[in-house]
Amino acid sequence: MATCTVSPLLAENVGTGCGENAYKCYQCKRCTSGCPVALYSEMHPAMIMRAVQLGQLDMVFDDRFIWLCTGCETCTTRCPQGIDIAAIMDELKIIARRDGRIPADTPSAAMLKLNYDSFVRWGRMWEVELIARDVLKRPASVRSWLSLGPKMMLKGKINPTLKKGDTLAMQRMVRTSESITSAKMQRQADAAASAATASGGAGPAHSGGES
Amino acid sequence: MSKTLAYYPGCSLHGTSGEFDASFRASARALGLTLQEIPGWECCGNTAAHSINRLLSTALPVNELAKVEQDMKLDAVAVPCAACYSRFKTGAHEVGEDAGTAADVRAVVGRPYNGGVTVQNLVDVYHDAVGLDELAARVTRPFGGVKIACYYGCLLTRPPKVTLAEDPEYPTHMDDVVKAVGCEPIDWNYKTDCCGASLALTEQGIVDDLVARILNDAKACGADAVAVACPLCQVNLDGRQSEILRKNSSWQTIPVIFLSQLVGRAVGVSDRELGLRKHLVDIAAVMA
Repeated sequence: MATCTVSPLLAENVGTGCGENAYKCYQCKRCTSGCPVALYSEMHPAMIMRAVQLGQLDMVFDDRFIWLCTGCETCTTRCPQGIDIAAIMDELKIIARRDGRIPADTPSAAMLKLNYDSFVRWGRMWEVELIARDVLKRPASVRSWLSLGPKMMLKGKINPTLKKGDTLAMQRMVRTSESITSAKMQRQADAAASAATASGGAGPAHSGGES
Repeated sequence: MSKTLAYYPGCSLHGTSGEFDASFRASARALGLTLQEIPGWECCGNTAAHSINRLLSTALPVNELAKVEQDMKLDAVAVPCAACYSRFKTGAHEVGEDAGTAADVRAVVGRPYNGGVTVQNLVDVYHDAVGLDELAARVTRPFGGVKIACYYGCLLTRPPKVTLAEDPEYPTHMDDVVKAVGCEPIDWNYKTDCCGASLALTEQGIVDDLVARILNDAKACGADAVAVACPLCQVNLDGRQSEILRKNSSWQTIPVIFLSQLVGRAVGVSDRELGLRKHLVDIAAVMA
């Protein structure tokens, strides 16, 4: 039987990151029935919610569902428990990227990063740059670009130039937000470690009582 | 409501959707609104920031709102791109709801934002800033009852706790606007279904399925054209039709037009200024 990775902290980490309580989900599946991309992967939103509750890392991170989520917010709008499910999907993407759990052949994950790097670099997202860098990384994608790109160019839909934003201000905001977030994560890790030490301290005392 | 609005075009309106920018500016001018573009604006963080750096995704739009409030001293900003609009509304909502987030955002932005700016999407500008009576009064070239499917997509109305949309599942404000310029809005089923958004860059097959489903319903319900208020919706609904036609030879194309182009045409803006030659599906049947 295949082994699976389980982390009892998954739902808690999701909650600390985005403020949502995954345990409120009672599997009514309204999120799934309204999800435009539920049919295109093994997992669907309600299954992801259950897997988060159970800390089933492989079920969440080995499937491509979270990377297909378009952020359309239909699940969030319809959830009878008021859970911001789309925010949980975002948090899972953040965790997957941080923990190196992006599955192979997930171009949407790479595209999000290209997009992020583009607006961080220029202050604004440069569409032409995204396409060029995507083709360099993923030569097979050139076929899908060729089906639409030339038509758009002929119509003058593609503007190759970029007017930069305030790049210094952008980079300052990126640095500050990253340092605030990592300080917060460090505090969280310290708190978890000291909680583990406390319960570890109680352990020997308990077993001592048994002997 | 103020007649001078701050204006945040966003990256797409400076990129693949120049005609959205041009038609919005021209229609606003014809309707007596003054738009002041936010100087040195930054990207709102779009789809990427909220799945990579949550704090930055809140701070970027709030930084723009602070500029409008404190540097430009205006009380409303027009954000015609639906995705940027959603980031602006979400940012304002999050700093208004949670003191901890507000403090972190203040540290990133470098100053507080006091909540003094109303964020308006394209539909809000025509429906509320101009007003339906004023809009109807300014129409010089009414459409003679062209049947329009108003496509709101995802982010004009969702999530309602952020947008405060009256009816997120079946909104009607865009319908009111097209009616005011002489079109006939139709009742249909896919007003707020997702077109696949940025999956168009990586998962074209999925986007083709979603787009075909949306447009099939618009056609079945009798629409002559689809009106949109989002650059990505427009690129997907208009642009993917050639690929859908390649896969299904019986596909009948349907024009997909920015709401700002419909309104602009009706209030006398020239076709050249509206960028009517940039559509991949011919729009002559509607805009002739």
